[in-house]
Amino acid sequence: MPFYAGIDVGSLSSDAVIIDQEGRMLGSAITETGAHSTQAAEKALDLALAQAGLSRGDLAFSVATGYGRVSVPMAQKTITEISCHGLGAHAIFPNTRTVIDIGGQDSKAISLDERGKVVDFVMNDKCAAGTGRFLEVMAGKLGLTLDDLGRLSLAAAGEVSISSVCTVFAESEVVSLVARNHPREQIVRGLHRAIVNRVAAMVGGLGVKEAVTMSGGVAKNAGVVALMAERLGINIQVPPEPQIVGALGAALLARRQAG
Amino acid sequence: MTAQPLAIPSRSHYLTAQKERGRKVLGVFPAQYPREILWAHDIAPMEIWDPPLEPGSAPAHLQPYICAVVRQGLELVLRGGAARLDGLLVPHTCDSLQNLASLLNDYLELPVPVLFFYHPKEPFRDSARAYYRRQLTILDQKLAARFGPRREGALEQAVAWGQRVAELAGRTYDLRARGQLSAPALEFYRVLRAGEFLHPEDHIPLLEEFLAVHQGPAPAGPVVLLSGVLPNPKELLSLLDQQGARVGHDDFLGLSRRLLFPASQAADPFDALCEQYFALPPCSTRGSALSQRLDWLKGLAQASGARGVIFYVVKFCEPELFDVPPLMAGLKEQGLATMSLEVELNQGVSGQIATRVEAFLEMLS
Repeated sequence: MPFYAGIDVGSLSSDAVIIDQEGRMLGSAITETGAHSTQAAEKALDLALAQAGLSRGDLAFSVATGYGRVSVPMAQKTITEISCHGLGAHAIFPNTRTVIDIGGQDSKAISLDERGKVVDFVMNDKCAAGTGRFLEVMAGKLGLTLDDLGRLSLAAAGEVSISSVCTVFAESEVVSLVARNHPREQIVRGLHRAIVNRVAAMVGGLGVKEAVTMSGGVAKNAGVVALMAERLGINIQVPPEPQIVGALGAALLARRQAG
Repeated sequence: MTAQPLAIPSRSHYLTAQKERGRKVLGVFPAQYPREILWAHDIAPMEIWDPPLEPGSAPAHLQPYICAVVRQGLELVLRGGAARLDGLLVPHTCDSLQNLASLLNDYLELPVPVLFFYHPKEPFRDSARAYYRRQLTILDQKLAARFGPRREGALEQAVAWGQRVAELAGRTYDLRARGQLSAPALEFYRVLRAGEFLHPEDHIPLLEEFLAVHQGPAPAGPVVLLSGVLPNPKELLSLLDQQGARVGHDDFLGLSRRLLFPASQAADPFDALCEQYFALPPCSTRGSALSQRLDWLKGLAQASGARGVIFYVVKFCEPELFDVPPLMAGLKEQGLATMSLEVELNQGVSGQIATRVEAFLEMLS
């Protein structure tokens, strides 16, 4: 029986998904990308294969995606993360018509047709403002982990205003707020608000069509998801493991390519 | 097998060669100007669009929101680039270039003359035609006063050269639109852009050779239109070639918007130049109405089978940036996919821009 792999090499994490001919997910893995894209891709793939009880020789076709897609020699084809996130989100929630993907280094809004094919998209291509990297830097400044952010944000009784999503300027604002003893949870919520405002403006330019699915590492942050839903005035679907949506889409495209 | 790139001299070597053969050389800033009048005076125009220089001194003279075309052109002059020239010509293309003309002429005390060329903006009434004809004769007189009178019949010859260049350019564009030109986008624009500095006696044979070498089936990938100022950074063209995409047509200010015109049959060369100017495709720098530009782009898409339009805009280019959002909206209404890329000149393509372009092509596939 043929098996297919999707490998998503992002700026912060490298993820892999293994599927079978029926599209069933047999294994998945999330690893840190670090400074070596190829090694990270290999590690993610091998972990996913091990979970599936397979080896590289069992794979009929592999697709690489993500910003490091060109550094995955074991993949037969590269496809952008925009197409992969679209198809991955559609596979999990077939009613998806808009995908919001906030990744480590960029954010995207993707409009899909009823088959999960991309019909339009927008993407920030200027800097890492309003992305996972922004949150990572701010968490570090506040002495928190990324996992703490969502919980603290949801628990906040209020929020402070963060005027910038530029990582450098916002870091400076956070330092000032900490110096004035503002509660951390309110600062976190303000940071989330800043990201949401930026991404929502981008999504608004595309036109929001329901149902909306969030993917990417930041979708694990319940505080961001809640504020995004509030800002857009809609319900937002989040996959059980939003970080592997791109890799899943890549695996599904690998199956399609092989067919 | 892919054809080898055609041999084209560097601008610097060509400038030296032109001087050695006794021609004057004028540095010309973008975009619209009557090349034929310069050729008729045995002057070789050397257009200054995107010199590959890192701005060092120019930003001190310009506001930070001035586009890279002006910034890098000024940088070239400040680094002594005008010293090998016999003068500079600045057409009144936009406010930034008009300001550059003032800087060059009034403040920098350059060792060479700075000439201006004014062309009318739309709407084109009869008075605009009379005005344009008058500007042609004024430029002709200024060049005669500065460099001596042109020889008898030289302008007629120059107009014929200009029409031959337009005819050959038109054929390359037509073949490409019909998918019958095998040249990669990178080579297409290298050869077409050589006209920014090659004299027609050299550019015409180059275009003829290009047509002879590259007639053949184009890649079968998705077809896109490109719109904007000029195809820089060229890495974007390489990316389109690598992805197997075909550029069906373009709407570049530096290319089709000033290269493609029907040859005038007027006997008087000034009348011919006038007719040809007013027959050029619509352009933001000539004040063309959005509806004209939209219809033009729709026509290009239809003629070439393009399903998507990439706006390839130099950062801070005011005339273009005002038009892009409504053009994108209008094209989307017609079912055409659109994407806008704001680029800096000569700075390559970032990973994010490459991803956007690749995703756009995947969307069209």
